[in-house]
Amino acid sequence: MNKKKLILFPLLAFFLSSCLFDTDDDGLSNWLSDQGLPNNYNVQEVTVNDLTPISADAFLDTAPVNAKVIGLLGARSGLSHDVVFDFAIDSALVAKIQNKDSAATFLYLHLLESFYGDKHLPSGYLPIKENLKINASWIISEKMSKNDVENLRDIKDSIWFHELESWTPQNKADTTLSVTIDMVDSVVYGVSVTVLNEPLVTIELPKALVNDILKKPGYRRLQLRLSVPEASNLYRFYGSANEEFQPQFHVVEKGTLNNLTCFAAHSAELISVQEKCSDCVVLYGGDNVYDSLVVEFPSKPIMKALSDFYGDEFPYTVGDSNDVRQAVVMAELTFFRDDSKGESELGLPVMVVASSYVDSVDASVLRGERYKLNRPLINASGHPNMVFHEGDSLSLQVTIGMRNFINKASDGRTFKMAMRLAQSILLPKDSSYRYFVRQDTIYKDQDKKEIKLIKTDTIPVNFPYSDYARYDFTSIRNKPATLKLWLASKRGDKTAPEKLVGKDGNKSESVVIKDNARGGK
Amino acid sequence: MKKFVSTLLFAVGFSSASMIGLEALGQEQIAGGSAAMAGRGFAGNAKTGDAEGVSVVNPARQAFDTKVMLNLNFLLDVSTADRSNSHYTRSGLSMPSMNLSFPMGDFGTLGVSLWQHYSASIREDIDNEEEMWNAELEYQSSVYELVPTYAIRLPFFRMVSLGASAHFVMGSFNRSLTLGADNSEISKEDAWATIEANVIDRVRGDWKIKNHVAYYTFAAQYRGRMASYFFSFTTPYTLKNELEYNMQFSELDTLEPTRKTREIKVPAMLATGVNYRFNKRHNVMADIAWRAWDRNIDNVAGSWNMSQVTKTQNDFNISIGYQRDGSDIFYESYWDRITYRAGAWYKNWYVEDVSEIGGALGAGFPLGRKGTMLDLSIQGGVRLTDDDHNWSESFIGIRLGLVGVGNWGKTRGQ
Repeated sequence: MNKKKLILFPLLAFFLSSCLFDTDDDGLSNWLSDQGLPNNYNVQEVTVNDLTPISADAFLDTAPVNAKVIGLLGARSGLSHDVVFDFAIDSALVAKIQNKDSAATFLYLHLLESFYGDKHLPSGYLPIKENLKINASWIISEKMSKNDVENLRDIKDSIWFHELESWTPQNKADTTLSVTIDMVDSVVYGVSVTVLNEPLVTIELPKALVNDILKKPGYRRLQLRLSVPEASNLYRFYGSANEEFQPQFHVVEKGTLNNLTCFAAHSAELISVQEKCSDCVVLYGGDNVYDSLVVEFPSKPIMKALSDFYGDEFPYTVGDSNDVRQAVVMAELTFFRDDSKGESELGLPVMVVASSYVDSVDASVLRGERYKLNRPLINASGHPNMVFHEGDSLSLQVTIGMRNFINKASDGRTFKMAMRLAQSILLPKDSSYRYFVRQDTIYKDQDKKEIKLIKTDTIPVNFPYSDYARYDFTSIRNKPATLKLWLASKRGDKTAPEKLVGKDGNKSESVVIKDNARGGK
Repeated sequence: MKKFVSTLLFAVGFSSASMIGLEALGQEQIAGGSAAMAGRGFAGNAKTGDAEGVSVVNPARQAFDTKVMLNLNFLLDVSTADRSNSHYTRSGLSMPSMNLSFPMGDFGTLGVSLWQHYSASIREDIDNEEEMWNAELEYQSSVYELVPTYAIRLPFFRMVSLGASAHFVMGSFNRSLTLGADNSEISKEDAWATIEANVIDRVRGDWKIKNHVAYYTFAAQYRGRMASYFFSFTTPYTLKNELEYNMQFSELDTLEPTRKTREIKVPAMLATGVNYRFNKRHNVMADIAWRAWDRNIDNVAGSWNMSQVTKTQNDFNISIGYQRDGSDIFYESYWDRITYRAGAWYKNWYVEDVSEIGGALGAGFPLGRKGTMLDLSIQGGVRLTDDDHNWSESFIGIRLGLVGVGNWGKTRGQ
């Protein structure tokens, strides 16, 4: 017998013996029960009605934002959107202009075809026809070296944006523009397509600007701001990072071929508020519009509801006071909603996203809430967290924040959450959310045989561009909200008989109690 | 053989099969839990030889060793817990100890052991859609001890040795119970909120000794021509288990855990044993170790209806064993070179009303001529309990010990 066999025999015997050891289907379940442990957790619900906020305030960030990708000019839904460009002026080219009276400056903006040509853009949005009164203001720098002007792009956007916050123009003047945006059918490479009738917007800038440029020879930097506060529409165009369709600034001598072309080294969008209602709680939405409505709720009604439900003391103040007796599985706040005072650009439902203040190390940070889908409800009546949609309520999930709040409520904190207007929804009753819906089509091949084809032409659930919307949330201040909590508790069964029966004589360092959720009574 | 050992090493999950005492300290690995000791019923702490190695119960023994010894131990066991008509079987793989002893002639013997003294390790799940059972329970608790030892024979009474060891305690505790939702108490319309909402009741922490860096064992050994004896005393100590309790959904959860420290007062241990050698290579031996627990152990608990304490009792271990030493002459027959062992033990656990009766057969197989050895023991037995909380258990297991013996530092003729 060799050594291998000597080892293998006991192993074989061991595994054969182990086959004799068997397990019941409910063996582990019974064992867990004897240890005082469950097989699952009971979901419990607590509803807190009439929850009136302590405060509800909106915070709009009006700092300049980048317009490299998409530029925006116009005014809509209570906000005016200005655009600012930073151009490098080449003195040698300017010097070619002989007749100053024939000189003029133009700005070419190429409309954002991907937006205006999007087939999911609501019908009725186009055509746009408008006569605009454009206010142009500018700053022409002192003489610079050729090298500095050519390397104008080296200046960080953030530094330039900071300078823009205190915009003090050297000069300003008005000009007018008649704009028409509409789509026409066309044939491109033999394929019928719908394209913008006139994608290029040409703005002739005030005469004062060209005069100032010609008066100041040498290499210089021109910062030009356009503003249309009286406009009724927004005009989207390709930003300065687009190599093909970027905005162009031209100094021309009419009747000659002299044409100085400049591309923007930087571009920015500046927002200004046109709100007339000073007491209103207004939330603005849109790409690059950073506006949040922060709502703060008192602790007492929430603590009382929990205390009534569990019969325990809330907030928890034993030991380190961190309450882990239960976990919030879901928390949903429902507000009253009245869409009639709001205004949207696209006319589509707009989703509201929630975030909550939670503890992180020694600071309180705002963390986005994960949106969990209530599919049956969405399929029946749409997402519950939308405005500009049927119904009169807005339900927002605040699970992470509520979990953190109950955990640390002993320090006397209030519950704070924030909301923002987010994306526009094309399919409000589609619970697939964020995914594209595929369209299956049937066609017949040469043999008249039906073939199923998954078309690449899909329907997006969200419209890819945000709605520049204004929503009046003033009612939040006086119409109470409802908080619904789904909870998991690790409290024991207070009525369960004590299973642990020990012998007398042993001293115990702690009292045997059944309701023993750590941090329990 | 190499593949077998590699697989075993890879699969070591430091788990134990017993489901008793998980909330307290878990299962104790008796006397270091080596395969050689297990093969003779955990008796033989008094047995001396050229390369008996470290004994965590009797540090004085190693003074009589003459060879360097490295020893790695593995345990594979299967255990079935029973109560009434319910039973549940599980298996575990653990590494109870690693030992190294280094004799230095007249300067005594140094040794070190890494001993998984207590372990509470299970990972089981239950999933039954019909009954809405969805639970996953995991205990991973190990009280490790790093035990440096030193022993020396007395200058004029060479048959007597004294030894001492310090037990530096370390280890971690982790208990997590992951539970799925039972929506029976809420309306159907509200069930959407609990989809993929498993809750984890988690406790974690670490093990330390309170107020001291270590606890200590002192021992004296007498080696006679035929009979050898030892007596050892292990100091009492307090284990400190600093725990964090949380209820969470993921590692990135925002809850601040609540903290609690439990203290376990482990009493002093007295141990003694005898080994009687006859017919040159035959040995019979008996050991006893005893501790008087006078305080109950606070459980980790903190959830649902879990018991707050584990009641304790006087804890003792009585072992008897037999060993026929293998011949160390390499040209003798292989059968003669094998060491044969047999033994049995009765252990009163520290957990009240829990006792263990076990028996084992073992052998030490020489591998090659250079002193490498493979210790193998097969054990079986029962753990008997009197209450509903702890279920009685039947167990079988294999222990494997890899032993390397060398003559480092010795010159020819020594």
